[in-house]
Amino acid sequence: MWKLRLPLTVLVGAAIVAGGCRRQAVAPPPQEIQVLMVKELPTDPTDSIWGQTQELHIPLLLQDLVEPRLLQPSTPYVAVRALYDGHRLAFRLEWEDATENADPGIAAFSDACAVQLPQKVEAVLPAPQMGEKGHPVQITLWKAVWKKGPLFEKGIQAVYPNAAVGHYPFQAASLVPGSTAQEEMALRYAPARRLGNDVASVPEKGAQDIVAEGPGTITPVQKNSQAQAVRTPRGWAVVIVRDPPEGFSPDSGTHVAFAIWDGAHQEIGSRKMRSAWIPLRVVSNQ
Amino acid sequence: MAIVYNWQLGRTMSYWYPEHRPQRQYAAVFDLNKCIACQSCTLACKTTWTSGKGQEYMLWNNVETKPYGSYPLAWDSKLLEMLGPQTWKDGKYLGRTIFEAAPAGERVLGWRPDDYDYAFPNTGEDDCAGQVERGLALNLPHAVWFFYLPRICNHCTYPACLAACPRGSIYKRPEDGIVLLDQGRCRGYRECVKACPYKKVFFNPLTGTSEKCIFCFPKREQGLQPQCFVNCIGKIRLAGYISVPESANPDNPIDYLVHVRKVALPLLPQLGLEPNVYYIPPVHVPVRFLEQLFGPHVQTAVQTYLNAKDDPDLAGLIQLFGCAEKIVPRWKRQNDWIIGMEEDGAEIVRVPLREPVFERPLFDERFQVARHNCP
Repeated sequence: MWKLRLPLTVLVGAAIVAGGCRRQAVAPPPQEIQVLMVKELPTDPTDSIWGQTQELHIPLLLQDLVEPRLLQPSTPYVAVRALYDGHRLAFRLEWEDATENADPGIAAFSDACAVQLPQKVEAVLPAPQMGEKGHPVQITLWKAVWKKGPLFEKGIQAVYPNAAVGHYPFQAASLVPGSTAQEEMALRYAPARRLGNDVASVPEKGAQDIVAEGPGTITPVQKNSQAQAVRTPRGWAVVIVRDPPEGFSPDSGTHVAFAIWDGAHQEIGSRKMRSAWIPLRVVSNQ
Repeated sequence: MAIVYNWQLGRTMSYWYPEHRPQRQYAAVFDLNKCIACQSCTLACKTTWTSGKGQEYMLWNNVETKPYGSYPLAWDSKLLEMLGPQTWKDGKYLGRTIFEAAPAGERVLGWRPDDYDYAFPNTGEDDCAGQVERGLALNLPHAVWFFYLPRICNHCTYPACLAACPRGSIYKRPEDGIVLLDQGRCRGYRECVKACPYKKVFFNPLTGTSEKCIFCFPKREQGLQPQCFVNCIGKIRLAGYISVPESANPDNPIDYLVHVRKVALPLLPQLGLEPNVYYIPPVHVPVRFLEQLFGPHVQTAVQTYLNAKDDPDLAGLIQLFGCAEKIVPRWKRQNDWIIGMEEDGAEIVRVPLREPVFERPLFDERFQVARHNCP
């Protein structure tokens, strides 16, 4: 008889627990980013208007699909808020990061974040992992190291303050300071700059725009995205303002994905924490 | 992962890309018995290629003292320890390569140096293994020893840097096998820095890209040997083209030294990269140490080199090192002369098998002055 009673007891207990949960449950967190329609987009992460938006905590996943992979999790989630002014989207990303990694160096890695959108609004979403052939994604990247300004102009002392250099070829007496000839000489020893590689310079508006059609394919593009960051007591808050995908309207909505790199964990490139595609819907202020 | 053949291991191995050998592989032989660590090569490279901002610490060419020297710090011992046992049997490697030992999530077993590891460019200089005790005599190998190891990028047949780059920014030129890093494409992930076991890729913190030895490819395209070769006052280096063993041509100086006489050996072949800079091992160093660096054929190579005094072909070819700026793709010995030639047989340089010796009288009658040969 007790054999029958025991399951019954368990069932009754479970019902009580479940019932209790139902009674205490609050509304489930939104599984979409609700983008608030505003007249003007802020670029400052501390702007009070962000308080009017709904924050979505988005869990981050290891990038463990393609080599080189990240196998040790670091940043668990990113808190995202979003605004739309009818032309551009603004995202505010906030995440916990105990160490500020904004210094350049031979073995230093920068904290960073990125926002990824499909190139255009279409029925089939690109692969969330950097898009795929024929279904590109557009990405806006922010790096903490850019706070240090254009390093090349500052020289090695910006990285290692006690470094001493005897002479560079562009300092030859025959080269007039500031002349084209002098710049030419400097570029001989800086091929990445000579070739216009975008990683060799600091973006004017604090953000880099790139497109990708799968892992390993990112290509810089000229856009007008902006980024601004502040160090919070617990990590970073970064605002990224950028164009929406082609064909985007308040009615269409779209999807967005995020990535966070923790410099202290030597995360860079594909070694990152990333999100899945998150639906994004424009809402009006109530 | 693909399965490729690595003749230096005597077996197949796994590699990120399928086997695809270049039309010709530019290669080199360094005679370690002649290196005096004058660093002329280091300076020649430095002034030619890495005098710019952010390149201050880079040494695409460096010369370190073994056993204790290393740049960056412990570049070799650290990885060898990570790799585990490296055993050979009958010329075949039984251990794992750095591709086969790659941990989960990685393409290559590697490590990335810290800033500090680059802070001592010539640590261990002239430090010898052991102490000079009373009663020691000069025998071979020396009881107390050190030797100099000049190093550049090995322009490997299976480059770990190339395998590790997730962007495909590193490529091996089909025409000469030189491994280059595309400065327009690199995004500074430093996977190559981590993967290269020889640590010959360097990150430029001011341009945000990694940079490496280019084997002076603009000179090669003009038929000339690299800067670090032609500025070597010890004449220890010879550049040329290497064939795979089954196509070895004795008229080709590199083939002759590596494949025919087997006197020049790859650096750390057990790592699996099939490096294309070959070293004639120093004859005064215990074989046991050298085998770790150059593989299982050291004993034979050392003995062959020691016999060179009775071996006019080998002794003659070694005389040809550093005697021309041009690349010498062919050679022959004619009695007491060694002739370096173009592919078509045209003579580039002619050197005597033995330098003539002149004895001069102790007293110079013409100038009425005593001369002697000792300082």
